Amino acid sequence: MCCEGCRAAAEWIEQLGLVDYYRLRTQLGQKPTVATLSVTADPWSRPENARHVVRDVGQGQREVLLSISGVRCSACVWLIERALGAMPGVVSVQVNSMSRRGRIVWRDGDTTLSDLLQILTRTGYTALPLDARGLDDVRRSESRDALKRLLVAGFGMMQAMMYATAVYVAGIDSLDPSTHELLRWLQLLVATPVVFYSARPFFSGAVRSLKLRRLGMDVPVAAAIAAVYVASLIETLRGTGAVYFDSISMFVFFLLAGRYLEMRARHRAGDLTDALARLTPPFADRCLEDGSLERVGVHELRVGDCVHIWEGGIVPADGALLSERCRVDEALLSGEAAPVTKKRDDRLIAGSVLEDGPVQLRVEGVGADTVLAGISALTNRAQTERPQLQRAGDQATARFVARVLALTAITIVGWCIFDPSRAFPAAVAVLVVSCPCAFALAVSAAITRALAVLARRGVLLVRPDAIQGLAECTDVVFDKTGTLTQSALALADVQTFNHASMDEAPYLAAVLARHSRHPIARAIAAALPDRCRTNVRDLTTHAGLGISAWLDGRELRLGRSDFASPGPGLAPDDDDAVLLADDAGVIAAFRLHEQLRPDADAAVEALRRQGLAIHIASGDSAARVSRIAARLRIADWRARLLPSHKLAWLTELRARGARVLAVGDGVNDAPVLAGAHVSIAMADGADLAHASSDIVLAEGRLIAIAPARAIAQQTLAIVHQNQRWALLYNFTAVPLAAFGLVPPWLAAIGMSLSSLGVILNALRIGGNDATSCIPRLARMSLSVTARAESA
Amino acid sequence: MNALVFMIPLSILFLAGAAVAFFWAVDHEQFEDMDTPGLLPLDDSPDPSRGANE
Repeated sequence: MCCEGCRAAAEWIEQLGLVDYYRLRTQLGQKPTVATLSVTADPWSRPENARHVVRDVGQGQREVLLSISGVRCSACVWLIERALGAMPGVVSVQVNSMSRRGRIVWRDGDTTLSDLLQILTRTGYTALPLDARGLDDVRRSESRDALKRLLVAGFGMMQAMMYATAVYVAGIDSLDPSTHELLRWLQLLVATPVVFYSARPFFSGAVRSLKLRRLGMDVPVAAAIAAVYVASLIETLRGTGAVYFDSISMFVFFLLAGRYLEMRARHRAGDLTDALARLTPPFADRCLEDGSLERVGVHELRVGDCVHIWEGGIVPADGALLSERCRVDEALLSGEAAPVTKKRDDRLIAGSVLEDGPVQLRVEGVGADTVLAGISALTNRAQTERPQLQRAGDQATARFVARVLALTAITIVGWCIFDPSRAFPAAVAVLVVSCPCAFALAVSAAITRALAVLARRGVLLVRPDAIQGLAECTDVVFDKTGTLTQSALALADVQTFNHASMDEAPYLAAVLARHSRHPIARAIAAALPDRCRTNVRDLTTHAGLGISAWLDGRELRLGRSDFASPGPGLAPDDDDAVLLADDAGVIAAFRLHEQLRPDADAAVEALRRQGLAIHIASGDSAARVSRIAARLRIADWRARLLPSHKLAWLTELRARGARVLAVGDGVNDAPVLAGAHVSIAMADGADLAHASSDIVLAEGRLIAIAPARAIAQQTLAIVHQNQRWALLYNFTAVPLAAFGLVPPWLAAIGMSLSSLGVILNALRIGGNDATSCIPRLARMSLSVTARAESA
Repeated sequence: MNALVFMIPLSILFLAGAAVAFFWAVDHEQFEDMDTPGLLPLDDSPDPSRGANE
């Protein structure tokens, strides 16, 4: 249990009889932050606000599409569906753990949108209703279409092969001509839907790239499918020679299967728009002339409006502070969790979290004019400008198919000169025997296998071509806060003065600290024992300074040195030091450090052993960055970098010829992640970081990076091996086919065997990976034992 | 040969039936979530709605 929110949720979960969540989940949940807990669903009861997110589906039923953050695995999905499904009036609940979207239908009158959202918030998930236009989900129809096409191709392939086998087994010459004729027509019947329905994406893709005057991967594939199909069709109509409907069905099926897997990985990445929408609140409290507050949608805010923000709330728009002072968490911009103090007229940024309040704000920028929108624009631009790692496999295949088509043409011309009657069968045999299957599969089989092996190690590949980037990178740029270090501070050192007892002083500090939500206070309270003492009086929080309280007849102050002990004293001039003092002088000094992630040192060392140059790019102060850099023995670091500076440094590194792997977690890292050759985001980081990276590290295990790189290199090696192998096979088979020496059955078998060889070779990736399954098995058996004991 | 005339149309009929069934299943969200339903049998509570009210 990590906090109060979790406990409440756990109790509630238990009350509902949903304890199984803890047994079924495969990933740890996300710790609730202040911001998520303070989100209320109330404003959605206002019809003006609900109108643009809810759709009327008839019969008094309403539908809403939610973007739900915090969904990690199927246990979350299960919990949400159960919790909402148990509410009266809810007709259907569907949550997709991959896209983190939920679709809820309810009967109007029995329940309301606010109720539904409140239940979700209590369960621990933050849901944001998406625009009603999003209900016609593009992704959903895309994945359904792909599945249907794949199935049609699979059915067609099986049937066509069955009929073809009958021909091959009986032998063409011994088969009754009418039966042979019948089997040809049957093959045509089952292969036609495969070509005209399943293979349509290849044809439309080919047309698209031809319009752009480019020779993409789809062009040769579509050409090969069309050529073999038309050739076989002519043979069927003429009633002579061999047909290859089985081969093209199989080709289409394998290609579609590869694309389907890639699409699933892409959908898992999450949507940039969803991630951005989650960063700003959907509502703001506008101050009216008479001093009352009106809750309006953020899109209704105009420049010059006065907005009221509650403590713990999220700033809805950019603007100037009207109140005296406040502290905001601008992790969004700087990546640092420590709050920044703002004075009157200072600029607040949309998406930052107010640590103490309430305050009022004069709106100066909304929508596209906010700094946040700027960051997302930067991210988008970096993504389009990123160096395109060539998809070597695709290109090799495209070149190869173009050559085969040329060779086919030569075969036809050649045979036309010597023996026109054999020209056609020989040309078709060349096409089939060299079928680019092995080539197309050489890449996709290896990548599919690598995806599975890496996922088992907690490295989730979002873009499959990241494998190449990962294998070939030369430099690693780490973000500091939240990536190399944990986001929470930890108490490093306690020093006492004036004969204060080492037993008493820390405990006094803890009593005070427990009453503040400041991250430093939280770190002190968490590190020191809780001995309950009630005679604390007049406890006051001084924003940006510290806490004071009366205890045992003296006033104690905990906070910055100039606040706790004014005037010259024993104040150490360390930024991170917090003093506890009374009027007699300083009692104790607490020094706080960021905690390195437990595996940071080993992970950096492993990457260094692989010959990579390591850098740190941080938004934090130089002193703190240098301390962390020294502990990890990293020589090249830069501090106080804004997102745009980070991107500039990255461009500089790239210009020097480095292939950069970026590792980060925050919103401020998003542009860097999007602009690097390949990027890794931490699973506990911001959604925007996930959406702009290639790889997500589950459970934030940095140590997984180095082995993942080794697996990526192995994958690339296997891809090259596969390609050489396919080339060798084709060099021997194609000339034989061109000279008319390959009978149709041998051509079909040759093609299948070459594909099979490629797939088997790909299965070698991560072959010595069996050990990594053991911890997981052990965990499972542990949970089973625990369950048996409790029962 | 007579057997073929009977069996082949039958097999194609079956094939068409399977394809129609599959298309129906895809359109009725049978393939939207491939993970959660597999976990449900592990759940001991007798009935979802009753389990939630207890």
